[in-house]
Amino acid sequence: MRDGVLLLAVLAACYLGFAMLALSQDRHWYHLDWRRHCPLRAILPLRMAGYGLLFAALVLALVRDGPGFGALLWATMISIGALAVVCTLTWWPSWLRPLVRLFQHLD
Amino acid sequence: MEPTFRASMNWLHTWAGVVLGGLLFAIFWMGTLAVFDREIDRWMMPMTRLEMPAGAPISIDSLRPSHEVAAAARSPNWGIIFPTEREPTLRMSWREGSSLVQRFIEPATGAVLPDPGTWAGTRFLYPFHYMLHIRVQDVGIWLVGLAAMAMMALCVSGVIIHRKIFTDFFTFRVARKPRRLILDLHNMTGVLGLPFHFLISLSGLVIFFSLYFPSSWQVAYNGDRQAFFDDAYGTHRPQKAGEPGGMASFDAMAAEARGLWDGATLRYFFVRNPGDARSIVQIGRLDQGIVSSTYDAAYFDGPTGKLISYRSGTPPVMSIQRFISGLHLIQFRHWALRWVYFGLGLVGCVMIATGYLFWLESRRKKHAQLGLGGARIVEGLTIGSVTGIVIATLSFFAVNRSLPLGATFLGEDRAALEIWTFYLVWLATFAHAWLRPGRAWIEQCWAVVAFAVAAVVLNWITTGDHLARSLAHRHLWAIAGMDLLLLVAAAMAALTALKLRRRQATRAAVPAPLAEKQHA
Repeated sequence: MRDGVLLLAVLAACYLGFAMLALSQDRHWYHLDWRRHCPLRAILPLRMAGYGLLFAALVLALVRDGPGFGALLWATMISIGALAVVCTLTWWPSWLRPLVRLFQHLD
Repeated sequence: MEPTFRASMNWLHTWAGVVLGGLLFAIFWMGTLAVFDREIDRWMMPMTRLEMPAGAPISIDSLRPSHEVAAAARSPNWGIIFPTEREPTLRMSWREGSSLVQRFIEPATGAVLPDPGTWAGTRFLYPFHYMLHIRVQDVGIWLVGLAAMAMMALCVSGVIIHRKIFTDFFTFRVARKPRRLILDLHNMTGVLGLPFHFLISLSGLVIFFSLYFPSSWQVAYNGDRQAFFDDAYGTHRPQKAGEPGGMASFDAMAAEARGLWDGATLRYFFVRNPGDARSIVQIGRLDQGIVSSTYDAAYFDGPTGKLISYRSGTPPVMSIQRFISGLHLIQFRHWALRWVYFGLGLVGCVMIATGYLFWLESRRKKHAQLGLGGARIVEGLTIGSVTGIVIATLSFFAVNRSLPLGATFLGEDRAALEIWTFYLVWLATFAHAWLRPGRAWIEQCWAVVAFAVAAVVLNWITTGDHLARSLAHRHLWAIAGMDLLLLVAAAMAALTALKLRRRQATRAAVPAPLAEKQHA
């Protein structure tokens, strides 16, 4: 149970982290907000949160599995999370709209 | 030499990719399957689809008669590998002359199971990915080593020649023209899978470091390979007395070994030089709880049963090598990581295949205009390397479920017939690709569908383990997983074939000059 929850948490943190990093790029922000640029004031918070979540994923992986398996789990899960973000942006971009709303008001 | 650094890297990336891509795809494909080699074994050897026994394991001494057979055959060793969750049978083996004798034993009762007559995952698919089954002078291992070095060079040069690595990090423009779409897919899988692809190639080389980088130990040990192995792996060199000797109780030695490691589970029980007065018993410990591939072993004097030496824990100088080897060999128990490895292995296959497709898409028109045959040759190579090896593997599964046990043909036994099927089908896919260039992709996709569905249906017919049954029983989940993945593969291949046909049809419907423009 604990292992399952932590595994989902690692995956979710990787996914959300990369989703925020993607949204901080004009191309993907435009996709969802129809504005040409990601608002300048949103870029920094998006990136900090994004990298922060990737770091959180590492911590969670280490908590779940210890240094050996934890490091390995993180190093592979970041690829899975990033690929999942690409699939979302390609086929179901609207899934990320809540995230956009969260940062839109910063403009 | 190209004028700029980036141009030279581009040249390297292009040509190393085209020349070695087929080999790399084969290695990645087989390596990905090897992640589930023991599950494939159970699928291909229905007699081993057993439940793990809950009670005490059978006595090792009860297997003594086969030890006497091995001793009489003057086999250099006799051994058993204890059952695990992924391989619930006890495997016993020895040599008779040049051939390896293997027996599968039901751990709960000690009954010998019928000979499965297949090399299945652990003896065919898994060794294929590191030695290609070319044994002569280790040529296979060296070719794979070359491919692994090339893979790392391709990873690095790919990053260097990528024009917009950060802007395109998450970009996959699926609605664009084929060339853009393929390049996006290649870049995306390449960049996002980079840590895994680089690490898996590097760790593959590190496993065989004593072969690939012999100077590393030759200098320190004056070229004495055995002395190096003694130190690094703690191997105990058996020496033959040449006269017959007795053998102490197997169970007593196993119990003592277990005690040495605080009651740990045992992985194997080997006898070196069975029947000899100086035979040695080597007992290995099972450690699935850490990444490192460990090799803790205890050595006993066979005739007296006295402990000679034992090792607990990896010596510091080897610890990094064992960690890196362990992360490649995944002998540990971690199902999440096992599935992630499988997924990222497939991502690697996509990356290699799309690399080929991009080369073709960017040259097809030019080659046709100049009347060059290069694009057609490479296209055949691509089709045979990508869909070809998939079809060959699936035919290996399908023929396994259609041949009866003990089947022979032209003097070849069942296991050999399966392997012949694999190679002949693979060869046929190359021939097909060169003979029918316009239709080969679509037709081979349908062949994938046919073989994958046939494998699932044949498994049902010959074993009765259909999906509803295998999903309901925990010890058959490996079978359910294999069947489900085969069905997913069939569905994806069918979708691809339909999509390719639709595209071909629209292209044919548009007047020629317009189609040219659309394609450009």
